[in-house]
Amino acid sequence: MNDDNRIPGMQSRPAIAFTFAGRSLQARVGDTVAMALWAADEVALRQSSRDGAPRGVLCNMGICYECLVVVDGVTVRACTTVVRAGMQVERGGRP
Amino acid sequence: MSEPAILDADVGIVGAGPAGMAAANVLAAAGLAVTVVDEGHRPGGQIFRQLPEGVDAHGAIAEPPSHRHGHTLLEEFARGTVRTIAGATVWDCKPGRVWFEHDGASRLLRCRHLLLATGAYDRCIPFPGWTLPGVLTAGALQVMVRGFGVVPGKRALVVGSGPLLLPTVTALLSAGVQVVAALEASSRWRALRAVPGVLGNLARIREAFWYGKQLLRAGVRLRWGWTVFRCEGDGRVQRAVIGQVDRDGRPRPETARTIEVDVVGAGFGLVPSIEIGQLLGCASRFDPARGGHRLIVDDRQRTSVPGGFAAGEVCGIGGAEVAIAEGTLAAHALLHEVRGTPVPRASVARALAERAAADAMLRAFAPLPGLHALAEPDTVVCRCEDVKLATAQAAAACHGDSLRAIKVGCRAGMGPCQGRICGPSLQALATGDGRRECDLPVVQVPLKAVRTATIVEAPAD
Repeated sequence: MNDDNRIPGMQSRPAIAFTFAGRSLQARVGDTVAMALWAADEVALRQSSRDGAPRGVLCNMGICYECLVVVDGVTVRACTTVVRAGMQVERGGRP
Repeated sequence: MSEPAILDADVGIVGAGPAGMAAANVLAAAGLAVTVVDEGHRPGGQIFRQLPEGVDAHGAIAEPPSHRHGHTLLEEFARGTVRTIAGATVWDCKPGRVWFEHDGASRLLRCRHLLLATGAYDRCIPFPGWTLPGVLTAGALQVMVRGFGVVPGKRALVVGSGPLLLPTVTALLSAGVQVVAALEASSRWRALRAVPGVLGNLARIREAFWYGKQLLRAGVRLRWGWTVFRCEGDGRVQRAVIGQVDRDGRPRPETARTIEVDVVGAGFGLVPSIEIGQLLGCASRFDPARGGHRLIVDDRQRTSVPGGFAAGEVCGIGGAEVAIAEGTLAAHALLHEVRGTPVPRASVARALAERAAADAMLRAFAPLPGLHALAEPDTVVCRCEDVKLATAQAAAACHGDSLRAIKVGCRAGMGPCQGRICGPSLQALATGDGRRECDLPVVQVPLKAVRTATIVEAPAD
């Protein structure tokens, strides 16, 4: 897998596969959805409620709800949700 | 095996950061049954954030001297008998009861005593382009690097105010990111006010020197009296306009210049996370130098609610040393209530001394009212509801300048973050008065957005 966006020496974790908006990606075990997507250069995670503008991770600690995505039909915070193998993640819409 | 929906403990602690861990370690060593619920996936809180389980990356990220306290706490915490529920989102509480969502299940913690060690979150100040992907809080970048080993970008801008800009810069440097600019909005002269508070505290001097050395080695100069004016880009941040501000934080447009960046970390201080305490009925006070509304505790970390204790940032921003000292004191005070053991005088003295040093230092970085002039009429101020500054100003003019009136008038603060992001600056933005005392935001159940099933299936106490 492409580890360009990972700090060398901090990645002794197995890779697992998941999808985002239909794109096949790889995460490291223990990654949150937000961090696996950031490492894969996916920074726009949802569209804002009225303007439809792209939004991504803001606080990365479960406060702001800006990184909402849909996992198995449930809207969750990408930054507090840990990736599971085979997880299907879709872009979030209105929070 | 499914885990029980209801947990019982002598002491419940919310938050596994320095304050929560320090208290838990003392209480568990004294033989009490302690349960800690924490929203993070590993103990440590934000300041002592750990990598995912199984990753040994000792030395990969440069750490300041104070972080050895974190390692000591974490080691003792892992060795002890404390039950930790990680990845738990607390959504309701009353004295001795904490309801939380954990791994898709609705659960309840019952305890005789409750310690709130809920920490803090970044204070956001809106500026044009702050909603672009790639513009994050300073804390978010630290989590990315220290919590996951992910590289934030290639060219970073760090802006804001306060001591937390430094660990943000060093985390970025550890990740191999070029820090194009590091901008502290406070003036150098204002920052000198911090010096007397630090002088008597050897650990803090050592810490300051460590950061100075790291920045010097990387050739990064902290620019005082500068900030970001706007961010621009197509779908993600690509450029930032930066410039100087006056003593009050007001932008000086004639100094503006554009730099190319692909990630921006903005941290204008921290806000105490008091929502659970508010819902419990704990008394609070507006204390701008400590980050805004904070819980009031007595000299033994007792809140106004019987059986309720609080320690660390929730009692006002102060940093990890304060949190450790206050968490330790809270544990001793709690043991005194349960067993009648005396509270060590040294513990009381240490909490007082650390708090005094932090207060003296943070006075130099109190929020600058002029920074609220960065937002323009079409700048989104409430990100959940896409409320623009002009709309919030119209709401304040029409409905009144209380936080509640502004919310009702324009829906700002009514989205899923429940005003945690826009709330601390909303009144200053909408009224144009950055020096007014802010209203206490109203809290409601659920404290955080959880699944409907979690609420419907909540265990009865």
